[in-house]
Amino acid sequence: MADHHHHEEEFRLHDPEFNRLNQKLDRRDFLTKTSMGIGALALGSLFGNKLMGNAPRPAIINATGDMEQEILRALPHFAPKAKRVVYLFMSGGPSQLETFDYKPALVNMMGQDLPESVRKGQRLTGMSANQSVLPLVPSYYKFNQHGQNQTWVSELLPHTAKVVDDLCIVKSMHSEAINHDPAITFFQTGNQLPGRPSIGSWLSYGLGSDNENLPTFIVLVSKNGQKDQPLYARLWGNGFLPSKHQGVQFGSGKDPVLFLNNPDGYDGADRKEMLAYLSKLNQIQNSTYGDPEVDARIAQYEMAYRMQTSVPEVMSVADEPEEVFELYGPDSKDPGTYAANCLLARKLLEKDVKFVQLYHQGWDQHGSLPSGIAGQCKATDQATAALITDLKRRGLLEDTLVIWGGEFGRTVYSQGKLTANDYGRDHHPRCFTMWMAGAGVKPGISFGETDDFSYNIVKDPVHVHDFQATLLHLMGIDHERLTYKFQGRRFRLTDVEGKVVKGILT
Amino acid sequence: MILLDIFTFSGRLHPLIVHLPIGIILLAILFNILSYLQRYRYLKQSVPLILLIGFMAAVLACVFGYVLSLSGDYDADTLTHHKFSGITLAIICGLLYLSSISKFREYLRVGDKLFSALLLGLVVLMSYSGHQGASLTHGKDYLTFRTLMQQEREKPATVEQAMLFEDVIQPILQKKCVQCHRDGKQKGELSLESLAALKEGGKNGQAAVPGKPDASELFKRITLDEDHKDFMPADGKAPLTKNEVKLIAWWIKEGKAEGGKTIAEIKNTTALKPMVALFLGIGGLTDSDEGDSEMSQVVNPDLPLAVDAMTIANLKNKGVRVRMMLNKPVMLDITLPPKSGIKVADVKTEILKLAKNIVWLNFSDNELTDQELDFLPALTNLEKLRLDKNPITDQLSDYLISLKHLEAVNLNETKITDVTTLKLKKNRGIQRVYSWKTNIAEVKID
Repeated sequence: MADHHHHEEEFRLHDPEFNRLNQKLDRRDFLTKTSMGIGALALGSLFGNKLMGNAPRPAIINATGDMEQEILRALPHFAPKAKRVVYLFMSGGPSQLETFDYKPALVNMMGQDLPESVRKGQRLTGMSANQSVLPLVPSYYKFNQHGQNQTWVSELLPHTAKVVDDLCIVKSMHSEAINHDPAITFFQTGNQLPGRPSIGSWLSYGLGSDNENLPTFIVLVSKNGQKDQPLYARLWGNGFLPSKHQGVQFGSGKDPVLFLNNPDGYDGADRKEMLAYLSKLNQIQNSTYGDPEVDARIAQYEMAYRMQTSVPEVMSVADEPEEVFELYGPDSKDPGTYAANCLLARKLLEKDVKFVQLYHQGWDQHGSLPSGIAGQCKATDQATAALITDLKRRGLLEDTLVIWGGEFGRTVYSQGKLTANDYGRDHHPRCFTMWMAGAGVKPGISFGETDDFSYNIVKDPVHVHDFQATLLHLMGIDHERLTYKFQGRRFRLTDVEGKVVKGILT
Repeated sequence: MILLDIFTFSGRLHPLIVHLPIGIILLAILFNILSYLQRYRYLKQSVPLILLIGFMAAVLACVFGYVLSLSGDYDADTLTHHKFSGITLAIICGLLYLSSISKFREYLRVGDKLFSALLLGLVVLMSYSGHQGASLTHGKDYLTFRTLMQQEREKPATVEQAMLFEDVIQPILQKKCVQCHRDGKQKGELSLESLAALKEGGKNGQAAVPGKPDASELFKRITLDEDHKDFMPADGKAPLTKNEVKLIAWWIKEGKAEGGKTIAEIKNTTALKPMVALFLGIGGLTDSDEGDSEMSQVVNPDLPLAVDAMTIANLKNKGVRVRMMLNKPVMLDITLPPKSGIKVADVKTEILKLAKNIVWLNFSDNELTDQELDFLPALTNLEKLRLDKNPITDQLSDYLISLKHLEAVNLNETKITDVTTLKLKKNRGIQRVYSWKTNIAEVKID
């Protein structure tokens, strides 16, 4: 008998995640359940929802669960400066040289080969590594000084230039990945390989929701970005965190959230009742199998039900005055465009959605950069600036953090042939520009410096993990203390690195 | 870590073993005295056997004690006194045993009264030896009349008043170093018990070189890698926290490793003031080892450290959103959902109970009037207030003038006019007033 038991043991997963499950499957536990459990269930239905259903289900105490609770109870670690975040992700790697990192000295070096003293044998992508020359190329576009601090901004960003006094421009970002997929994954999850939770999922897990009628983490992908590099749902995935923390993507079509509308011929009157029964069935299932995904599913049904009213309300722009559309630009009336998403982001932030992430693709200008980047800037500049202006006048910039940036920068040399008015730029992770604005960051400053070639960082480098640590810090989280144990290891967003960039904090 | 060899190990058992003879000999004395009573006469016979056991235990304690003394680092004088009084004690104990068994009585005859007197003498000797031993372990001033009379330094009220060495550095040294580095037990020939002793330095030179942390042995040792054999505190004792290390570095650098100076008298204090506040528990926070972090922040000292969980639960049940912004002290962010239909009167009791904990308050878009918000002056720790999209008027600003922590007020889409601008100027703490879509074009507070 003992042997038999032992044999059976081997088929159980000895992972903390499954401890609960194993415990539930114990014979003794089974007996308790069949005698007491079914009785209790019957009682529960007798007394109705009020007495039993609303009571929180008793948590099964185990070491892992305790540790998780311990970590969550300690949050927030600091008084947060930011209550919500909107992250404008410029996917593809926008060129720092044509936007914020002004390098006038390059004009006199146009066409010259990139000095080895600058490159220092650093690896290049396969796309330009075999070029016989790496000709330096200055920005095709002019820069002008703007705002009280006379910040240099490219002529491609006339609207952003007007709000430059609200921005904290970090010119010394650097990443480890040189290609899109690992670089975006690195930014979103702290690791180049897929599988870890996204920033928004960590925030949702650590801090919970401020509005139970909407998801904590919402993703909007512009339909008007050039889809040259793909995006995929795992970038806003929950990784190993419970799946209710995954980002919810709002589509750009007629129905932002699919299947939220009632089907034809059904008025939804008895939906609540139906969901109550479904939830009860799921709970019975869950009491037998203890699968955390059942919990997630129950929560998602309930969320979907609440979203039937909350989403149409937040998506409707009917109440927005004409002046608002003018502010965000003509695209803002076309749902799914970057401008419309910026407006929608403001509405979501107004509803205290904790993390809104916009993606705009098409910044990967290997060739024909001058025309390509002009189009990208035109599609995003006005709405980005409008979002800042709108949040500011509504007083929301007080406790909202706005982030703008891509996964890496671009090379100072031309990829492919350099002509008088055409060139391309390859991926460059050694330095690039991002900006932040709003809660907790110093407005109107530039942080960090690059050399005359915008190739290497000469002052105050900010690594991707440092950026993530800072973001968490502004939300009240010590990035070293928000951990989750999975497969025997405690994981965190910043892996084993990251330092809060104190220089940009107010 | 290297395993302790058997000698060191048994040596360290001395403080344990030493209590055996103490107890046993005391028992012998007790029985001997009791045996004078008619009722306990029979106890007299047991005394020799107890003394024999006490003698054997004392010998064992002596051996272990000797082994421990070999590990060094003890004050030589005290050690000698302890050693010889201990050995004498064991010998007397043995002799007294001999004198009480019949075989030896022929040679050495001790009368009953004398025997009892000698036993009492043994107590005196034992107390003396014990005190010496305790001085070795805990320091000479561990148990003195001076200790009894000594007063604790009064805790300074503000960071500026705090004495850098006396209030900050010395307590750190006391807590983390003095157990081994003190007058009676100078490991590495260094004592950190007083500033004077610290200045004398130790075997490896000066502990603190004024102005030069990197040249100071003390600073070097506490900043080594924890696995390094020279790392201090040694033997896995609790290391100094990051903040404590920073404070010591600062004391050596800016405080010139001296005493008698207040924080206010020392240069470049801005960065360190929060840390001192944290260390002294000024501002509601304490520098606990577990919460040690490079980003510890100083929080408004008026914030209460606790909150009534029931009140929070009540508020939540009534549909008010309560967000915990910090656990210690407790900072709350309270939001009335827009168009909630909740009447302020219904939640006022709870809000007032939590008044001092509320740091952010958002009541926007809830049809609120000035009168309903008359509780605002009670929210003395309020920093950010949102009242936008409510039919409030210039009267409201009267409630905001006394709020000294208030930084930002959102009065967008309300009925305020320039009168509010003027009134709010009286509160110099307010940095940002939002007045979009009101009768004021723009509020400028300078």
